[in-house]
Amino acid sequence: MAKQKKVKSKNNFAMWVMFSPYLFLLIAFGLIPIIMAILEVPHESRVNPDGGWDAFLIVLQDFRFLPAVRNVLGFMAIFVPTTILFVIVMALMLDVNPTKWKKWLRMAYIVPAAISGAVAVLVWYALLQPAFSPIKEPLSWFGLTTSDQIWQTEKLVYIFAAMAFFAIAGNWILIQFGSLQSISGEVIEAARVDGCSAFQIALKIKLPLIKKYIVYMGVLIFAGGLQIFVEPQLIDSGIYSGIAESWSLDQLAFELAFTTGDFGGASALSLMLLVPSLLGALVVIFKTDMFEEAEVNSNKKVEA
Amino acid sequence: MLKNLELMSRKTKLRQESRFWTYMVNGWLIFFAIVSIIPMIWLLLAPSKEDADITNRHPLAFGSFGNYVKAWNNLQFFDNGVMFTWVVNSLWYTASIVVLATVTASMAGFVLSASNIRFKRSFLISTLITMLVPPMALVVPIFVLMDAISLMDRPIAVILVSSLYPFGVFLSYIYYTTTIPKELYESARLDGCNDFRLFTKIALPLSWPLISLLAFFAFIGNWANYFLPYILLPSSENFTLPIGLGFLFYSTPAINPGVGATSVPIYKPEIALAGVLIAVPIMIVFLISQKRLVRGMLAGSIKE
Repeated sequence: MAKQKKVKSKNNFAMWVMFSPYLFLLIAFGLIPIIMAILEVPHESRVNPDGGWDAFLIVLQDFRFLPAVRNVLGFMAIFVPTTILFVIVMALMLDVNPTKWKKWLRMAYIVPAAISGAVAVLVWYALLQPAFSPIKEPLSWFGLTTSDQIWQTEKLVYIFAAMAFFAIAGNWILIQFGSLQSISGEVIEAARVDGCSAFQIALKIKLPLIKKYIVYMGVLIFAGGLQIFVEPQLIDSGIYSGIAESWSLDQLAFELAFTTGDFGGASALSLMLLVPSLLGALVVIFKTDMFEEAEVNSNKKVEA
Repeated sequence: MLKNLELMSRKTKLRQESRFWTYMVNGWLIFFAIVSIIPMIWLLLAPSKEDADITNRHPLAFGSFGNYVKAWNNLQFFDNGVMFTWVVNSLWYTASIVVLATVTASMAGFVLSASNIRFKRSFLISTLITMLVPPMALVVPIFVLMDAISLMDRPIAVILVSSLYPFGVFLSYIYYTTTIPKELYESARLDGCNDFRLFTKIALPLSWPLISLLAFFAFIGNWANYFLPYILLPSSENFTLPIGLGFLFYSTPAINPGVGATSVPIYKPEIALAGVLIAVPIMIVFLISQKRLVRGMLAGSIKE
């Protein structure tokens, strides 16, 4: 018994050595930044001269905060449901599609994923510049013939929603198409024999069976959308100056830190933005069986 | 045989619906495929034209191959050829991240799957949480940390932070748990194999599909990354290509009319070529690895 225990602890030593590089990175860049941000919040600054936890309140009362919340919520209200619905419909269509070109279609859908961040800003600048846009004809159908008609502050939510949509929709179509492939053909066939149409099968059989993947996708899309930064930042600083200043919450955190030098306020805002992402993560982990193989859900473990 | 029957039943599903819907679905799928590739085609063709031809000729017309070379040479005039440094930076930062992230994640995933180290469940849950929270949420706190430990403007800061790869750990954990039977480890241990050899001689040789999956996700997540290097690497000689592209937006008049005329020959074709250098590698990797994308994102929930 003693010998067995000794062998096990020796084995574990090697295991700890192999685990330690990741553990170091996890603690150093996953945990410590959060602790440092919490400690940074009460520091005295020009906007919070007495220091203390008022930093949260000061950020909430910043004149740029509410407009940024409105912008991000407006953007999310368009981007999140549109993307989720579109992806599901496209994946279902691809699943029932009998063509031989399915492989080529999937390849085409994944192409826009290569256009992200700074390149996406460049490409969308070109797409929405009627003078040389590859879609200038469709733009003209809507009476859009100059860039001034398009690049207006109130239209930015739609433009950023379109940019974010194209950057990720193709990937998710492929992933949800993959999740649909996991449904047994027999289940579908049985429903068909019972007289279900393709629409009924999609609504009543396929969608309930891939629900957890849809929730997983929803959480990742939501969490990513909340952190929109590159597009408004580059449009504002690089192309149409002043059009999207402090437009998103991440931009405001950036401005607080690097323009105002208010790291307490920036940290407070970052921490507030972290909360919804954390809640979303916890929902996916504990309220869905997305990660059933990881056996982190204790109830399941007991049942097993 | 069964699989063929299943495929046939999937393929015949829509044919049994009305012909009208079949055409509608196919038409829409093809339409969206065309919409998906037009921006990339514009980007690829833009550097082949002279600056004036980008506006004067058809947006999707081809100029000449010589113009790609001309655009590249013109880019060299910008800031004493710093463009080449950005290409080299992007290559070596991404390569270092891919190697570090893949090695640390595969070892950690192996340890979580093959050992019973203490806090295993807590490590798994923290890994899942870190994986689901967008990395951007921690950028300001990470800046505060890097500033405190004097790693600002050092490439190692970006490399280390980006090498934290919880998604990779999760993928490795699932891979090792589902593909390597526990008995194999036990018999190797009985034969006197220690835990290091268990990893290098047993697990690793069986995990090349996993390693390619890890490298794929590490590459696509970091090649075009903007926010983190933008904040941690303020000096132009440390920029990556995406940060450099953003810098070209706001320091040349090519697409930003707010910048006055300069003597540097950077116009739209040059900017587009910089965009091509970022987008094309990632597009190629996506096109040849689309199965990896689906397999990776659904890992742990679909049993193969």
